[in-house]
Amino acid sequence: MESIIEVDNLAKMYQKKQALKNLSFQVQKGEIFGFLGPSGSGKTTTVKILTSQLRFTSGRVTVFGIAPDRSSKASYLGRIGILTDNSGLYDRLSVYDNLVLFCRLYGVPEKSLEGVLDAVNLSADRNTLVQRLSKGMKQRVTLARAILHRPEILFLDEPTSALDPVNVLQIHETLRRLNREGTTIFLTTHNMQEAEALCDRVAFLNNGEISALDTPLQLRLQHGDQTITLTTPKGPEIVGKNAAGAIRINELIRSGELMAIHSNEPTLGDIFVKLTGRGLE
Amino acid sequence: MTFSLNRLLAIAGKEWKDSVKNPQILLMAGMPIVLSILMKGQKALSEGGTIDHFTMPIMIAISVVGAFVQALMISEEKEKNTLRALMLSPASPVEVLLGKSTMTTVYTIVVMAVCMLITGVPAINLGYLVLFILLLLVIFMALGTSIGLISRTASETSIVGLPILLFFVFGPIFAPGLKVPFVMDVIGFIPSYHFMEGLSALVLDKGMEQLWLSLGNLLVWTVLSMVLVFLIYGGKRFDK
Repeated sequence: MESIIEVDNLAKMYQKKQALKNLSFQVQKGEIFGFLGPSGSGKTTTVKILTSQLRFTSGRVTVFGIAPDRSSKASYLGRIGILTDNSGLYDRLSVYDNLVLFCRLYGVPEKSLEGVLDAVNLSADRNTLVQRLSKGMKQRVTLARAILHRPEILFLDEPTSALDPVNVLQIHETLRRLNREGTTIFLTTHNMQEAEALCDRVAFLNNGEISALDTPLQLRLQHGDQTITLTTPKGPEIVGKNAAGAIRINELIRSGELMAIHSNEPTLGDIFVKLTGRGLE
Repeated sequence: MTFSLNRLLAIAGKEWKDSVKNPQILLMAGMPIVLSILMKGQKALSEGGTIDHFTMPIMIAISVVGAFVQALMISEEKEKNTLRALMLSPASPVEVLLGKSTMTTVYTIVVMAVCMLITGVPAINLGYLVLFILLLLVIFMALGTSIGLISRTASETSIVGLPILLFFVFGPIFAPGLKVPFVMDVIGFIPSYHFMEGLSALVLDKGMEQLWLSLGNLLVWTVLSMVLVFLIYGGKRFDK
Protein backbone atom coordinates (compact mmCIF):
# COMPACT_ATOMS: atom_id res chain seq x y z
CA MET A 1 0.00 0.00 0.00
CA GLU A 2 1.11 3.56 -0.70
CA SER A 3 2.15 5.77 2.25
CA ILE A 4 0.43 9.16 2.14
CA ILE A 5 1.97 10.48 5.39
CA GLU A 6 5.50 9.61 6.47
CA VAL A 7 6.96 10.72 9.77
CA ASP A 8 10.52 9.82 10.68
CA ASN A 9 12.18 10.69 14.01
CA LEU A 10 9.98 13.74 14.49
CA ALA A 11 10.84 15.87 17.51
CA LYS A 12 9.31 19.11 18.74
CA MET A 13 10.61 21.29 21.56
CA TYR A 14 8.57 24.10 23.13
CA GLN A 15 11.38 26.15 24.68
CA LYS A 16 12.74 23.59 27.21
CA LYS A 17 9.80 21.16 27.09
CA GLN A 18 9.99 18.29 24.64
CA ALA A 19 6.49 17.73 23.25
CA LEU A 20 7.38 15.03 20.70
CA LYS A 21 10.25 12.56 21.04
CA ASN A 22 11.41 10.91 17.83
CA LEU A 23 8.02 9.86 16.49
CA SER A 24 8.09 7.55 13.48
CA PHE A 25 5.04 6.19 11.66
CA GLN A 26 3.43 5.98 8.25
CA VAL A 27 -0.20 6.41 7.29
CA GLN A 28 -1.33 4.37 4.30
CA LYS A 29 -3.52 5.85 1.62
CA GLY A 30 -7.18 5.04 2.29
CA GLU A 31 -6.91 4.04 5.94
CA ILE A 32 -8.34 5.58 9.10
CA PHE A 33 -5.36 6.08 11.37
CA GLY A 34 -5.98 6.86 15.02
CA PHE A 35 -3.69 8.73 17.37
CA LEU A 36 -4.83 7.77 20.83
CA GLY A 37 -3.58 9.55 23.90
CA PRO A 38 -4.56 11.67 26.90
CA SER A 39 -4.55 15.47 26.93
CA GLY A 40 -1.03 16.84 26.63
CA SER A 41 0.39 13.70 25.04
CA GLY A 42 1.32 15.49 21.80
CA LYS A 43 -1.66 14.65 19.56
CA THR A 44 -2.56 18.22 18.63
CA THR A 45 1.11 19.14 18.18
CA THR A 46 1.44 16.29 15.67
CA VAL A 47 -1.67 17.37 13.74
CA LYS A 48 -0.46 20.97 13.64
CA ILE A 49 2.90 19.87 12.25
CA LEU A 50 1.27 17.64 9.64
CA THR A 51 -1.04 20.47 8.56
CA SER A 52 1.72 23.10 8.32
CA GLN A 53 0.56 25.14 11.32
CA LEU A 54 3.63 24.44 13.43
CA ARG A 55 7.31 24.04 12.67
CA PHE A 56 9.10 21.04 14.10
CA THR A 57 12.51 20.88 15.74
CA SER A 58 14.02 17.87 13.98
CA GLY A 59 13.13 14.80 11.95
CA ARG A 60 11.42 14.36 8.62
CA VAL A 61 7.74 14.78 7.75
CA THR A 62 6.11 14.38 4.36
CA VAL A 63 2.48 14.53 3.31
CA PHE A 64 1.80 13.59 -0.34
CA GLY A 65 5.58 13.24 -0.57
CA ILE A 66 6.34 16.88 0.30
CA ALA A 67 7.22 18.64 3.56
CA PRO A 68 4.08 20.44 4.88
CA ASP A 69 5.96 23.49 6.16
CA ARG A 70 7.31 24.10 2.68
CA SER A 71 4.03 23.52 0.86
CA SER A 72 1.73 26.44 1.40
CA LYS A 73 0.47 26.19 -2.15
CA ALA A 74 -3.21 25.95 -2.95
CA SER A 75 -2.57 22.59 -4.59
CA TYR A 76 -1.56 21.16 -1.20
CA LEU A 77 -4.04 22.96 1.06
CA GLY A 78 -6.87 22.11 -1.33
CA ARG A 79 -6.11 18.40 -0.87
CA ILE A 80 -6.46 18.33 2.92
CA GLY A 81 -9.30 19.04 5.34
CA ILE A 82 -8.67 20.10 8.92
CA LEU A 83 -10.73 20.12 12.06
CA THR A 84 -8.79 21.17 15.15
CA ASP A 85 -9.55 22.84 18.45
CA ASN A 86 -8.64 26.20 16.89
CA SER A 87 -10.99 25.95 13.90
CA GLY A 88 -13.09 29.11 14.25
CA LEU A 89 -16.36 30.19 12.65
CA TYR A 90 -17.90 33.57 11.79
CA ASP A 91 -20.41 34.15 14.61
CA ARG A 92 -22.41 36.88 12.87
CA LEU A 93 -22.93 34.79 9.72
CA SER A 94 -25.34 31.91 9.20
CA VAL A 95 -24.27 28.29 8.93
CA TYR A 96 -24.84 28.46 5.17
CA ASP A 97 -22.87 31.70 4.69
CA ASN A 98 -19.96 30.27 6.67
CA LEU A 99 -19.86 27.25 4.38
CA VAL A 100 -20.47 29.16 1.14
CA LEU A 101 -17.33 31.22 1.80
CA PHE A 102 -15.21 28.07 1.92
CA CYS A 103 -17.02 26.55 -1.08
CA ARG A 104 -15.83 29.55 -3.07
CA LEU A 105 -12.31 29.41 -1.62
CA TYR A 106 -12.02 25.72 -2.56
CA GLY A 107 -13.78 26.17 -5.91
CA VAL A 108 -16.62 23.81 -4.94
CA PRO A 109 -20.14 24.38 -6.37
CA GLU A 110 -22.59 25.72 -3.80
CA LYS A 111 -25.14 23.03 -4.64
CA SER A 112 -22.83 20.39 -3.12
CA LEU A 113 -23.51 21.97 0.28
CA GLU A 114 -26.90 20.24 0.46
CA GLY A 115 -25.26 16.85 0.82
CA VAL A 116 -22.68 18.16 3.26
CA LEU A 117 -25.34 19.76 5.48
CA ASP A 118 -27.29 16.49 5.45
CA ALA A 119 -24.16 14.54 6.36
CA VAL A 120 -23.65 16.59 9.53
CA ASN A 121 -27.37 16.83 10.32
CA LEU A 122 -27.58 20.61 9.93
CA SER A 123 -29.95 21.06 6.99
CA ALA A 124 -32.69 22.43 9.23
CA ASP A 125 -30.32 24.96 10.80
CA ARG A 126 -28.71 26.25 7.63
CA ASN A 127 -30.02 29.81 8.13
CA THR A 128 -29.27 30.00 11.86
CA LEU A 129 -26.57 32.45 12.91
CA VAL A 130 -23.54 30.59 14.23
CA GLN A 131 -23.60 32.64 17.45
CA ARG A 132 -26.93 30.96 18.28
CA LEU A 133 -25.64 27.40 17.87
CA SER A 134 -24.67 25.02 20.67
CA LYS A 135 -21.05 23.90 20.97
CA GLY A 136 -21.91 20.56 19.39
CA MET A 137 -23.62 22.21 16.42
CA LYS A 138 -20.63 24.50 15.90
CA GLN A 139 -18.44 21.41 15.90
CA ARG A 140 -20.61 19.95 13.13
CA VAL A 141 -20.37 23.16 11.07
CA THR A 142 -16.58 22.99 11.41
CA LEU A 143 -16.63 19.37 10.30
CA ALA A 144 -18.82 20.31 7.32
CA ARG A 145 -16.27 22.96 6.36
CA ALA A 146 -13.45 20.41 6.63
CA ILE A 147 -15.15 17.91 4.30
CA LEU A 148 -17.01 20.10 1.79
CA HIS A 149 -14.20 19.88 -0.78
CA ARG A 150 -13.81 16.08 -0.46
CA PRO A 151 -10.20 16.21 0.77
CA GLU A 152 -7.75 13.39 0.09
CA ILE A 153 -6.64 13.51 3.73
CA LEU A 154 -8.87 14.61 6.58
CA PHE A 155 -7.15 15.62 9.82
CA LEU A 156 -9.55 15.44 12.74
CA ASP A 157 -8.56 16.50 16.23
CA GLU A 158 -11.17 15.24 18.71
CA PRO A 159 -14.00 15.56 16.17
CA THR A 160 -16.82 14.35 18.41
CA SER A 161 -15.69 15.76 21.75
CA ALA A 162 -18.70 18.07 22.15
CA LEU A 163 -21.36 15.88 20.52
CA ASP A 164 -24.24 13.84 21.91
CA PRO A 165 -24.38 10.07 21.17
CA VAL A 166 -26.88 10.41 18.29
CA ASN A 167 -24.73 12.96 16.46
CA VAL A 168 -21.58 10.96 17.23
CA LEU A 169 -23.11 7.97 15.41
CA GLN A 170 -24.08 10.14 12.45
CA ILE A 171 -20.63 11.72 12.23
CA HIS A 172 -19.00 8.29 12.44
CA GLU A 173 -21.17 7.10 9.56
CA THR A 174 -20.23 10.19 7.55
CA LEU A 175 -16.53 9.57 8.21
CA ARG A 176 -16.83 5.89 7.20
CA ARG A 177 -18.58 6.91 3.98
CA LEU A 178 -15.87 9.48 3.17
CA ASN A 179 -13.27 6.82 3.88
CA ARG A 180 -15.03 4.32 1.60
CA GLU A 181 -14.98 7.01 -1.10
CA GLY A 182 -11.21 7.29 -0.77
CA THR A 183 -10.47 9.89 1.92
CA THR A 184 -7.62 8.97 4.25
CA ILE A 185 -8.46 10.00 7.80
CA PHE A 186 -5.96 10.96 10.49
CA LEU A 187 -7.91 10.99 13.72
CA THR A 188 -6.68 12.05 17.14
CA THR A 189 -8.85 11.21 20.09
CA HIS A 190 -8.79 10.26 23.72
CA ASN A 191 -12.04 8.35 23.20
CA MET A 192 -11.13 4.67 22.94
CA GLN A 193 -14.61 3.63 21.75
CA GLU A 194 -14.31 6.08 18.88
CA ALA A 195 -10.90 4.71 17.96
CA GLU A 196 -12.14 1.11 18.11
CA ALA A 197 -15.23 1.96 16.06
CA LEU A 198 -13.43 3.83 13.30
CA CYS A 199 -9.73 3.11 13.04
CA ASP A 200 -7.94 0.58 10.86
CA ARG A 201 -4.78 1.16 12.91
CA VAL A 202 -4.09 3.08 16.10
CA ALA A 203 -0.96 4.49 17.69
CA PHE A 204 -0.79 5.07 21.43
CA LEU A 205 0.86 8.38 22.19
CA ASN A 206 2.14 9.04 25.69
CA ASN A 207 4.39 11.95 26.71
CA GLY A 208 5.34 12.57 23.10
CA GLU A 209 6.29 8.96 22.33
CA ILE A 210 4.51 6.15 20.53
CA SER A 211 4.19 3.20 22.88
CA ALA A 212 2.27 0.89 20.54
CA LEU A 213 1.06 0.89 16.94
CA ASP A 214 -1.12 -1.77 15.33
CA THR A 215 -4.69 -2.63 14.40
CA PRO A 216 -7.13 -2.52 17.32
CA LEU A 217 -7.73 -6.26 16.94
CA GLN A 218 -4.02 -7.14 16.98
CA LEU A 219 -3.45 -4.95 20.03
CA ARG A 220 -6.30 -6.64 21.87
CA LEU A 221 -5.04 -10.08 20.92
CA GLN A 222 -1.44 -9.26 21.86
CA HIS A 223 -2.39 -7.90 25.24
CA GLY A 224 -5.24 -10.23 26.11
CA ASP A 225 -4.81 -12.94 28.72
CA GLN A 226 -6.03 -15.73 26.40
CA THR A 227 -9.06 -16.60 28.52
CA ILE A 228 -12.79 -16.91 27.93
CA THR A 229 -15.56 -16.12 30.40
CA LEU A 230 -18.44 -18.58 30.38
CA THR A 231 -21.70 -17.55 32.02
CA THR A 232 -23.51 -20.49 33.61
CA PRO A 233 -26.45 -20.76 36.07
CA LYS A 234 -23.83 -21.12 38.84
CA GLY A 235 -22.07 -17.88 37.89
CA PRO A 236 -19.22 -16.83 35.62
CA GLU A 237 -16.46 -19.31 34.89
CA ILE A 238 -13.13 -18.48 33.27
CA VAL A 239 -11.38 -21.01 31.04
CA GLY A 240 -8.24 -20.83 28.92
CA LYS A 241 -8.18 -20.65 25.12
CA ASN A 242 -6.79 -24.17 24.98
CA ALA A 243 -7.84 -27.82 24.73
CA ALA A 244 -9.05 -27.92 28.34
CA GLY A 245 -11.14 -24.83 27.77
CA ALA A 246 -12.64 -26.34 24.63
CA ILE A 247 -13.63 -29.50 26.52
CA ARG A 248 -15.27 -27.44 29.26
CA ILE A 249 -17.24 -25.37 26.71
CA ASN A 250 -18.32 -28.57 25.00
CA GLU A 251 -19.55 -30.01 28.33
CA LEU A 252 -21.56 -26.90 29.14
CA ILE A 253 -23.16 -26.84 25.69
CA ARG A 254 -24.07 -30.51 25.94
CA SER A 255 -25.59 -30.05 29.39
CA GLY A 256 -27.45 -26.94 28.28
CA GLU A 257 -25.82 -24.86 31.01
CA LEU A 258 -23.93 -22.40 28.81
CA MET A 259 -25.80 -19.09 28.95
CA ALA A 260 -23.17 -16.75 27.39
CA ILE A 261 -19.59 -16.84 26.22
CA HIS A 262 -17.19 -13.88 26.05
CA SER A 263 -13.61 -13.73 24.87
CA ASN A 264 -11.57 -11.69 27.37
CA GLU A 265 -9.68 -9.27 25.10
CA PRO A 266 -8.93 -5.98 26.83
CA THR A 267 -10.26 -2.68 25.52
CA LEU A 268 -7.85 -0.20 23.95
CA GLY A 269 -8.20 1.84 27.14
CA ASP A 270 -7.09 -1.15 29.24
CA ILE A 271 -4.11 -1.70 26.97
CA PHE A 272 -3.16 1.96 27.13
CA VAL A 273 -3.19 1.87 30.94
CA LYS A 274 -1.18 -1.36 30.90
CA LEU A 275 1.47 0.09 28.58
CA THR A 276 1.75 3.62 29.95
CA GLY A 277 0.53 3.41 33.53
CA ARG A 278 -1.93 6.26 32.92
CA GLY A 279 -5.51 6.65 31.73
CA LEU A 280 -6.79 8.29 28.57
CA GLU A 281 -8.80 11.13 30.13
CA MET B 1 0.12 30.04 -6.36
CA THR B 2 -2.18 31.59 -8.92
CA PHE B 3 -4.22 34.65 -8.06
CA SER B 4 -7.98 34.04 -7.97
CA LEU B 5 -10.41 36.93 -8.23
CA ASN B 6 -13.20 34.56 -7.15
CA ARG B 7 -11.46 33.82 -3.86
CA LEU B 8 -10.74 37.52 -3.28
CA LEU B 9 -14.39 38.41 -3.94
CA ALA B 10 -15.57 35.57 -1.70
CA ILE B 11 -13.58 37.03 1.20
CA ALA B 12 -14.72 40.59 0.37
CA GLY B 13 -18.36 39.39 0.25
CA LYS B 14 -17.96 37.73 3.63
CA GLU B 15 -16.52 40.99 5.02
CA TRP B 16 -19.54 42.90 3.74
CA LYS B 17 -22.07 40.52 5.33
CA ASP B 18 -20.10 40.49 8.57
CA SER B 19 -19.48 44.24 8.83
CA VAL B 20 -23.08 45.36 8.29
CA LYS B 21 -24.01 43.29 11.36
CA ASN B 22 -21.22 44.81 13.45
CA PRO B 23 -22.41 47.99 15.25
CA GLN B 24 -18.85 48.86 16.35
CA ILE B 25 -17.76 49.28 12.74
CA LEU B 26 -20.84 51.29 11.77
CA LEU B 27 -20.33 53.58 14.78
CA MET B 28 -16.69 54.21 13.89
CA ALA B 29 -17.60 54.95 10.28
CA GLY B 30 -19.86 57.73 11.55
CA MET B 31 -17.19 59.49 13.66
CA PRO B 32 -15.35 61.34 10.85
CA ILE B 33 -18.68 62.55 9.47
CA VAL B 34 -19.58 64.07 12.85
CA LEU B 35 -16.13 65.68 12.98
CA SER B 36 -16.68 67.18 9.52
CA ILE B 37 -19.90 68.79 10.69
CA LEU B 38 -18.09 70.23 13.74
CA MET B 39 -15.23 71.57 11.60
CA LYS B 40 -17.43 73.05 8.92
CA GLY B 41 -17.63 76.34 10.78
CA GLN B 42 -13.83 76.88 10.70
CA LYS B 43 -12.42 79.83 8.78
CA ALA B 44 -11.98 79.25 5.06
CA LEU B 45 -8.61 79.80 3.39
CA SER B 46 -9.88 83.04 1.89
CA GLU B 47 -10.59 84.25 5.42
CA GLY B 48 -7.04 83.53 6.61
CA GLY B 49 -7.77 79.98 7.85
CA THR B 50 -5.87 76.74 7.19
CA ILE B 51 -6.92 73.66 5.21
CA ASP B 52 -7.10 71.63 8.44
CA HIS B 53 -10.90 71.61 8.29
CA PHE B 54 -10.53 69.75 4.97
CA THR B 55 -7.57 67.47 5.74
CA MET B 56 -8.48 66.59 9.34
CA PRO B 57 -11.73 64.71 8.57
CA ILE B 58 -9.93 62.88 5.75
CA MET B 59 -7.10 61.85 8.04
CA ILE B 60 -9.53 60.83 10.77
CA ALA B 61 -11.55 58.79 8.22
CA ILE B 62 -8.39 57.08 6.99
CA SER B 63 -7.06 56.38 10.49
CA VAL B 64 -10.33 55.40 12.19
CA VAL B 65 -12.06 53.57 9.33
CA GLY B 66 -9.12 52.61 7.14
CA ALA B 67 -6.69 51.64 9.89
CA PHE B 68 -8.50 51.07 13.18
CA VAL B 69 -11.52 49.23 11.75
CA GLN B 70 -9.15 47.14 9.64
CA ALA B 71 -7.13 46.34 12.78
CA LEU B 72 -10.29 45.38 14.67
CA MET B 73 -11.53 43.12 11.88
CA ILE B 74 -8.19 41.34 11.59
CA SER B 75 -7.66 40.92 15.33
CA GLU B 76 -11.22 39.60 15.73
CA GLU B 77 -10.45 37.01 13.06
CA LYS B 78 -7.32 36.08 14.97
CA GLU B 79 -9.11 35.93 18.32
CA LYS B 80 -11.85 33.67 16.93
CA ASN B 81 -9.39 31.52 14.97
CA THR B 82 -11.07 32.25 11.64
CA LEU B 83 -7.93 33.85 10.24
CA ARG B 84 -6.14 30.51 10.64
CA ALA B 85 -8.97 28.84 8.73
CA LEU B 86 -8.43 31.31 5.88
CA MET B 87 -4.67 30.77 6.03
CA LEU B 88 -5.17 27.01 5.77
CA SER B 89 -7.54 27.34 2.81
CA PRO B 90 -6.23 27.63 -0.76
CA ALA B 91 -6.50 31.44 -0.51
CA SER B 92 -3.11 33.12 -0.92
CA PRO B 93 -1.87 35.89 1.43
CA VAL B 94 -2.56 38.46 -1.32
CA GLU B 95 -6.14 37.20 -1.76
CA VAL B 96 -6.80 37.15 2.00
CA LEU B 97 -5.29 40.58 2.66
CA LEU B 98 -6.83 42.27 -0.38
CA GLY B 99 -10.17 40.57 0.24
CA LYS B 100 -10.21 41.74 3.82
CA SER B 101 -9.15 45.24 2.79
CA THR B 102 -11.75 45.69 0.05
CA MET B 103 -14.66 46.46 2.34
CA THR B 104 -12.58 48.75 4.54
CA THR B 105 -11.48 50.64 1.43
CA VAL B 106 -15.07 51.05 0.27
CA TYR B 107 -16.20 52.21 3.72
CA THR B 108 -13.31 54.70 3.96
CA ILE B 109 -13.92 56.15 0.49
CA VAL B 110 -17.65 56.56 1.17
CA VAL B 111 -16.99 58.22 4.54
CA MET B 112 -14.35 60.52 3.00
CA ALA B 113 -16.73 61.47 0.19
CA VAL B 114 -19.42 62.38 2.72
CA CYS B 115 -16.87 64.37 4.74
CA MET B 116 -15.82 66.31 1.61
CA LEU B 117 -19.44 67.01 0.75
CA ILE B 118 -19.85 68.54 4.19
CA THR B 119 -16.59 70.52 4.38
CA GLY B 120 -16.33 71.34 0.69
CA VAL B 121 -13.22 70.80 -1.42
CA PRO B 122 -10.73 73.68 -1.78
CA ALA B 123 -9.41 74.63 -5.22
CA ILE B 124 -6.88 71.83 -5.73
CA ASN B 125 -5.56 69.59 -8.48
CA LEU B 126 -7.90 66.61 -8.14
CA GLY B 127 -5.40 64.16 -9.63
CA TYR B 128 -2.83 64.96 -6.93
CA LEU B 129 -5.54 64.97 -4.26
CA VAL B 130 -6.67 61.45 -5.23
CA LEU B 131 -3.05 60.25 -5.39
CA PHE B 132 -2.26 61.63 -1.92
CA ILE B 133 -5.44 60.16 -0.44
CA LEU B 134 -4.89 56.72 -2.00
CA LEU B 135 -1.28 56.51 -0.84
CA LEU B 136 -2.18 57.54 2.72
CA LEU B 137 -5.07 55.07 2.71
CA VAL B 138 -2.82 52.19 1.64
CA ILE B 139 -0.24 53.11 4.30
CA PHE B 140 -2.81 53.36 7.09
CA MET B 141 -4.60 50.18 6.04
CA ALA B 142 -1.27 48.36 6.04
CA LEU B 143 -0.53 49.77 9.50
CA GLY B 144 -4.02 48.75 10.66
CA THR B 145 -3.53 45.25 9.28
CA SER B 146 -0.16 44.97 11.03
CA ILE B 147 -1.66 46.17 14.32
CA GLY B 148 -4.50 43.63 13.93
CA LEU B 149 -2.04 40.82 13.23
CA ILE B 150 0.16 41.74 16.19
CA SER B 151 -2.73 42.12 18.66
CA ARG B 152 -3.84 38.90 20.35
CA THR B 153 -7.44 40.04 20.85
CA ALA B 154 -9.79 42.70 19.48
CA SER B 155 -9.63 44.61 22.77
CA GLU B 156 -5.82 44.57 22.67
CA THR B 157 -6.06 46.39 19.34
CA SER B 158 -6.94 49.58 21.21
CA ILE B 159 -3.91 49.26 23.48
CA VAL B 160 -1.52 48.54 20.62
CA GLY B 161 -3.13 50.61 17.91
CA LEU B 162 -4.63 53.77 19.37
CA PRO B 163 -1.36 55.37 20.57
CA ILE B 164 0.25 54.73 17.17
CA LEU B 165 -2.70 56.03 15.18
CA LEU B 166 -3.25 59.05 17.43
CA PHE B 167 0.43 59.95 17.06
CA PHE B 168 0.20 59.62 13.29
CA VAL B 169 -2.96 61.73 13.02
CA PHE B 170 -2.53 64.37 15.68
CA GLY B 171 1.28 64.51 15.77
CA PRO B 172 1.60 66.84 12.76
CA ILE B 173 -1.14 69.11 14.13
CA PHE B 174 -0.13 69.50 17.76
CA ALA B 175 3.61 68.68 17.85
CA PRO B 176 4.77 72.06 16.48
CA GLY B 177 3.22 73.69 19.54
CA LEU B 178 5.53 71.64 21.80
CA LYS B 179 8.61 73.22 20.23
CA VAL B 180 10.73 70.12 20.94
CA PRO B 181 13.21 69.66 18.08
CA PHE B 182 13.50 65.86 18.48
CA VAL B 183 9.72 65.42 18.28
CA MET B 184 9.58 67.67 15.22
CA ASP B 185 12.38 65.64 13.61
CA VAL B 186 10.34 62.46 14.10
CA ILE B 187 7.14 64.10 12.91
CA GLY B 188 8.98 65.20 9.80
CA PHE B 189 9.22 61.55 8.69
CA ILE B 190 5.66 60.37 9.22
CA PRO B 191 3.27 60.09 6.26
CA SER B 192 0.40 62.08 7.75
CA TYR B 193 2.72 65.11 8.12
CA HIS B 194 3.68 64.81 4.46
CA PHE B 195 0.03 64.34 3.49
CA MET B 196 -0.81 67.67 5.11
CA GLU B 197 2.34 69.40 3.85
CA GLY B 198 1.80 68.07 0.32
CA LEU B 199 -1.81 69.21 0.17
CA SER B 200 -0.88 72.60 1.68
CA ALA B 201 1.82 72.99 -0.99
CA LEU B 202 -0.79 72.29 -3.64
CA VAL B 203 -3.46 74.61 -2.27
CA LEU B 204 -1.13 77.43 -1.27
CA ASP B 205 1.04 76.98 -4.39
CA LYS B 206 4.27 76.51 -2.38
CA GLY B 207 6.07 74.98 -5.35
CA MET B 208 6.84 71.52 -6.63
CA GLU B 209 9.76 70.75 -4.30
CA GLN B 210 7.58 70.18 -1.23
CA LEU B 211 5.05 68.31 -3.36
CA TRP B 212 7.62 65.82 -4.68
CA LEU B 213 9.24 65.47 -1.26
CA SER B 214 5.88 64.60 0.28
CA LEU B 215 4.94 62.23 -2.54
CA GLY B 216 8.32 60.51 -2.24
CA ASN B 217 7.86 60.08 1.50
CA LEU B 218 4.39 58.56 0.98
CA LEU B 219 5.69 56.18 -1.68
CA VAL B 220 8.50 54.95 0.59
CA TRP B 221 6.00 54.43 3.43
CA THR B 222 3.66 52.58 1.07
CA VAL B 223 6.35 50.10 0.07
CA LEU B 224 7.67 49.63 3.62
CA SER B 225 4.24 49.20 5.19
CA MET B 226 3.22 46.61 2.56
CA VAL B 227 6.43 44.64 3.12
CA LEU B 228 5.76 44.80 6.88
CA VAL B 229 2.24 43.40 6.46
CA PHE B 230 3.33 40.44 4.37
CA LEU B 231 6.21 39.66 6.73
CA ILE B 232 3.94 39.68 9.78
CA TYR B 233 1.22 37.71 7.97
CA GLY B 234 3.75 35.08 6.89
CA GLY B 235 4.95 34.76 10.47
CA LYS B 236 1.40 34.30 11.78
CA ARG B 237 0.79 31.25 9.63
CA PHE B 238 2.71 29.14 12.14
CA ASP B 239 2.04 28.62 15.83
CA LYS B 240 4.87 29.39 18.23
